[in-house]
Amino acid sequence: MLNRLYRWLDLRYGIGEIAEKELTGYLLPRNINEWYSLGSVLLVIFAIQVATGMLLMIYYVPDADKAFKSVSFIMNEVPFGWFIRLCHAVGSNMMVAVLLLHMLSTLMMGSYKAPRELNWVTGFTLFALVQGISLTGYLAPWSQLSFWATTVATNSVSAIPVLGPTLVEFLRGGKLVGPATLGRFFALHAAVLPVVIAALIGAHLFFLKRTGVSAPPFGRDETANPFEAREYHYQGHPGGIPFFPNYALQDLSSISIYFAVFLAVVFFWPNMPFTPDAFVPADPFKTPAHIKPEWYFLANYQTLKIFPSELLGLSVQAAAMTFLALLPFIDRSPERHPLKRPLFLTLVIAGILLWIALSVWGHLS
Amino acid sequence: MIAKNILAILLLAPLLFLQPAAAVAAEQPETVCIQCHGSMPDRLGAPVNLWRGSVHAENGISCNGCHGGDPKDAANAMSPQRGFLGAPKEKDIPAFCGRCHPGVYKDYLASAHGRALGAGGPTCVTCHQNHQVMKASLALINEKSCTRCHSFERARAIRDAMSGTEARIVGISGRIEKFQVSGVDTEKMGKALFAVRNRFHTLFHDVDVNRVKSESAAINKELDKLDQALKVIDDEHARRRVVGGIAVAAALLLAFLFHAMKKTYD
Repeated sequence: MLNRLYRWLDLRYGIGEIAEKELTGYLLPRNINEWYSLGSVLLVIFAIQVATGMLLMIYYVPDADKAFKSVSFIMNEVPFGWFIRLCHAVGSNMMVAVLLLHMLSTLMMGSYKAPRELNWVTGFTLFALVQGISLTGYLAPWSQLSFWATTVATNSVSAIPVLGPTLVEFLRGGKLVGPATLGRFFALHAAVLPVVIAALIGAHLFFLKRTGVSAPPFGRDETANPFEAREYHYQGHPGGIPFFPNYALQDLSSISIYFAVFLAVVFFWPNMPFTPDAFVPADPFKTPAHIKPEWYFLANYQTLKIFPSELLGLSVQAAAMTFLALLPFIDRSPERHPLKRPLFLTLVIAGILLWIALSVWGHLS
Repeated sequence: MIAKNILAILLLAPLLFLQPAAAVAAEQPETVCIQCHGSMPDRLGAPVNLWRGSVHAENGISCNGCHGGDPKDAANAMSPQRGFLGAPKEKDIPAFCGRCHPGVYKDYLASAHGRALGAGGPTCVTCHQNHQVMKASLALINEKSCTRCHSFERARAIRDAMSGTEARIVGISGRIEKFQVSGVDTEKMGKALFAVRNRFHTLFHDVDVNRVKSESAAINKELDKLDQALKVIDDEHARRRVVGGIAVAAALLLAFLFHAMKKTYD
C-alpha cells in the first residue's frame, strides 16, 4: 500500500528525487555534533507553541473583563486545558532557553562567520522576536503579574528621548496599561509576531540551505575557514554522513530528551513559569510588592536599575544588542576554534558570567 | 499652588512605575496623632507604642479609625467638629468597637459576658487589650486571662471543643491557598471556608459549652465537605504526576532508542 502511494506520488512529483537530494543524499560533516540538533528542537518547540496557542484561542477571550476568567476556565474546566496552557507557558520559557543554547553553540563554533552572516542576523532577530512574543503573551492572562510586568516593561520605553512618551502611549493604546493594551498585545502575540517569526525561520533555513552546514572546528587540525567572496559556493561535505537516517536519528534523540525535560517541568514543576501574582486578577490600583519580569529579562531589568538614568541603561543594552547582532561583520578573522581565539573566549565567558550575575541580582533585588 | 502640586505629581508619578516595589514598601505617612503622642511621656505617649504592635496597626487602622478627629491637621486633630470622639467610658466600649465589628458586638451582647456589661462584666478590651489590640484567637482563652474573673473550667472546655476545629480551618485554608497559587479555581471553596470561619468566630463570644460543642460539630461537617473537595483535587494532581512520570520515562526511553539506532549507522 505504502509502496503504491510512494510510486503514485513519485511518478507525478518526483518525490524520490527530493528525498535523495534533501534527506539521504544531503551530506553533513562527519564530525557534526549534538549541538547542531538544537535547531530541529527549536522547530518542534515553535510548532508546539503554535498548536497550543491555537487550542488556547478556542476558549481564551482577549477582553480585559473576561481574560482572567477565561484563563481560569481553561485551567479548571476545559478537558486537558491545564495541560495545554502549561505546555504553552512552559514552552515559551523553554524556547528562550534552547534559543540561548543554540546561539551559544553557534558562537563557540564560530558558525556565524562569513559566509553565514545573515544566518546569524536572522537567528539573532528571531531571538529578539521570541522575547517579544513572550512579553506580549505575558499580558494575555490579565493577572496582577501580567498587568504590572507590562506596566514596568512598557514604561522603560519612556526613557527614549523625545519620542519616548509617545511610544509608550502608542504601545499601551493610552496613558496607562488597560483594555486597549490587551487588544494590541494580543494582536501582536497571536497574529503579527507568529507570522513574522515563521517568515524569518523560513529565511534562516533558506540561508542554511544555500550556504551549506558549517563543519564544527573540533577534531580537525585546520580550523580556520577563510571565505573568499568571488563567486557563489555551496559548502558541501563529500564523504560526510547522510542527514537521513544518521543525523535525523540524532535530531529525534535530542527532541526526545527535550520532551523529557519539558514534560518533567509541566507535570512536576508546573509553577515554574508563574508567581502567586499570576493567579490574582489584574488590579490597576494595587501594586504587588515584588513584581519581577521573566528570568530572561532579569538582566535587562537589573541593568536599568543600576544606571543612574534609564536612558543610559537602555543605551548600554541597545549597544550590547547591536554589537551582538552585527558580530559577524565585526569579528572577521577566519579562525573558528574557541581555544585558538583567547580574547573571544574570554569575552564570551565574561559576558555569560555578567548576564548570570545581573539576572541573579535582579532576582534578589 | 494647585498648579504647582499638579506639576509635582505629574513629574513624580512615573517614578512610582519605575520602582513599584519601593513604592509599595514605603510606609504610610504618620498621622499627626502619632507625631505628637509618639513623643509624649507616660500615659499620653504609651498608647502609640502599644498600638504599633496591634492587629489594627498591622491592617493600617490608625488612631482616628477608632477615636475620630482629623489625622492630617494637628491644630484641629482633636476637635469634635472634625469628629473627634475621645476615649469611651467603660460601658460604652463594646458599642465603640462594634461600629466596625457589628457581628462580634451582637454575639458579645448575647453572651453571658455581654449580659453582665455595666455590672462588672468584661468588655472587649478586657480580653483583647485596648491599644495593643489582639486578633481573636483561641490563645486569648487562657487560664491567666480568664481567672481574673472566674474559674477556668468552663473556658477550658470551650477552648478544647474549638481548638480541633480551628486547626482544621487553618489547615484547609493553607491547602486552598496552595492550590490557588497553582491556578486551581478556589473561589467557591474560599467563599465556603470564609462562611464557615465566620460561623466559627461567632462561637468565640459564646460561653455556653453545649452550644459551642454542637456548633463545632456542625462546622466540622461543613469542613468535611471542603476536605473532600480538596482531596478530589489532590487525587487528580497525584494522577497527573503518575501520567507525567510515565511520559517522561517514555521520552527518555525514546531518546535512548534513537541514540542506539544512530550508533548502528555510525
